[in-house]
Amino acid sequence: MTATRRKGFGPLILIAPAAVLLGVFLVLPYLNIVVMSFRMPGQGTPYGPGFTTGNYTKFFADSFYLLQVANTLWIGLITTALCLVVGFPVAWQLARGNMRFRALAYGLVLSPLLVGIVIRSYGWTILLGNNGLINRTLTGMGLIDRPLPLMYNALGIVIALVHVFLPFMILPIMAAIQGVDPSLESAARSLGASRFTAFRRIVLPLCTPGIQAGCILVFVLSLSAYVTPSLIGGLRVKTMAVTVVDALIDTFQWPWGSALALMLSVTGALCVVIFARLTRMKWKVART
Amino acid sequence: MTEVSIERLTKTFGGARAVDGISIRIADGEFISLLGPSGCGKTTTLKMIAGFEEASEGAIRFDGKDVVNVPAEKRDIGMVFQNYALFPHMTVVQNLAFGLEMRKIAKPEMLSRIAEVLDMVQLGGYSDRYPNQLSGGQQQRVALARALVIEPKILLLDEPLANLDAKLREEMRVFIRDLQRRVGITTVYVTHDQAEAMTMSDRVVVMFGGRIAQIGAPSDIYERPENLEVAQFVGQVNLVKGTILGGTITGAAGPGKSRVASVFGEVAVDSRTDHAPGAAVTLSLRPEAIELKTASQGGAQGKVTARYYSGSIIDYRIALDSGETLHVQTFPNIRIAEGDRVSVHAPADGFWLLGAAK
Repeated sequence: MTATRRKGFGPLILIAPAAVLLGVFLVLPYLNIVVMSFRMPGQGTPYGPGFTTGNYTKFFADSFYLLQVANTLWIGLITTALCLVVGFPVAWQLARGNMRFRALAYGLVLSPLLVGIVIRSYGWTILLGNNGLINRTLTGMGLIDRPLPLMYNALGIVIALVHVFLPFMILPIMAAIQGVDPSLESAARSLGASRFTAFRRIVLPLCTPGIQAGCILVFVLSLSAYVTPSLIGGLRVKTMAVTVVDALIDTFQWPWGSALALMLSVTGALCVVIFARLTRMKWKVART
Repeated sequence: MTEVSIERLTKTFGGARAVDGISIRIADGEFISLLGPSGCGKTTTLKMIAGFEEASEGAIRFDGKDVVNVPAEKRDIGMVFQNYALFPHMTVVQNLAFGLEMRKIAKPEMLSRIAEVLDMVQLGGYSDRYPNQLSGGQQQRVALARALVIEPKILLLDEPLANLDAKLREEMRVFIRDLQRRVGITTVYVTHDQAEAMTMSDRVVVMFGGRIAQIGAPSDIYERPENLEVAQFVGQVNLVKGTILGGTITGAAGPGKSRVASVFGEVAVDSRTDHAPGAAVTLSLRPEAIELKTASQGGAQGKVTARYYSGSIIDYRIALDSGETLHVQTFPNIRIAEGDRVSVHAPADGFWLLGAAK
């Protein structure tokens, strides 16, 4: 009896700190946001007395906000796809390349995370602006007459987001590739598969969990990114996160801001669930 | 079936010669082992035959056709890896089907071939298991089946038994050898285990430092080793110093022998090499060739310093009065204890005159 009880409580005690942290600082605030989203707008106060579904009807009635959600999801999707395309070969080299290359590349991969987010975003404005380094160089070389619109649009936001979120794509994929025995590829090739077929049929399915993790991380981080879109998107392109902060802090409409924030969360979560469903592994390896 | 011919095959890694100009002819249906310590180039040689490693120089011919520039997937080989390399996300049947799919074999034929091969490796009921639901020995047999089901020209095995426990390893030796005989496929087997190489192979290729030290039948390698290195690698051996005596040998001993004076007196020893009279030479003497008798019955005299009983045999360490130490293996039917004084007899045909190491 004591043995089974000890077995039962041990893991609980170990996860308790994380559970308490999540409960107090995530679940409770979230519940508070849900309640807040149904409150009446206030006059001169963050919210008024009584409850309403008006915030949600306002959201669904105005195509402006729906479009903004779509826009935000689109930016998240493109950022994720680009991170995957750019990151996979790097992850491969990190997992399978030679040691000397690895140490250097590892540092380079992590480097975006070593710089503060505001500084990094200002860095991008210096590079991408109409009078920025890229446009000046290109006009100086006579390649373009007018500066390319690299800032205050979705393109600029995507460029900056890909830069900072790349490590979140590369690291899980690298770990997954490291878990795939290289002799499996040799085995596939000895059985008559080309390099590409061996990759597609053997390596790719086996590192799917890493690709999934990387994609979900980057997608979710892109949706909730605030500083980069607000500095690089400016007033012209707004993502949901920027609009939510505007509502909460600039116009002081807590119920409206909460409703917007929840709509972003719900659509984001829906996308993640659909993605996980689509890429679900068709094989389950029973552990005996 | 296929004859394999390796000609002056060389592999250099940044200036170092991992494989240094080796030549082997492997007959159709022959089981040949590449035997040697780690780093001797045996695995690199196998990888070059498989096409996973590019040859720096030399030729590899399958039935006379040079395949050096043929990619691995077009060489039509079956390979078994040390860690089996089964695809973990595929069932046994899917693992076996992979190679057949690559060859675009129609489904009905595919299934009948898979069933046949699974039967051959005695895994009939395991079709839908995943590799991690199988024991090490079963995984090994799936790997073997996967390599054989494509009916390759050549079967290559890279230390396939290294990860199995001792009992299973001995079973699998016999199993693989029987299977190979039945299928009649030309086989190259890489191992560092001399007992494995000897029990399974038609011929053994002993390799040291990227070169071939000796090629021969297991009995050839064991009884007539080319040099000291080979003798020491393929089993335990006593080394006895001697001096070549002049004069020809007459009678039954016949030519091809040399007269050598040693602590065991004057013996006519088999040899492949010629030595001038008076030359200092080394004789090998296998532990199981030596006979022990109780003290003062002729032969060399000595004392038992250690005795190790292991069931079918007993190992003795003998300190000879002349200062040498001998390792002796006998059947357990003689009762000689530690500390006993003994007479050591070595028959002339237990000796072999070693050539100098190259």
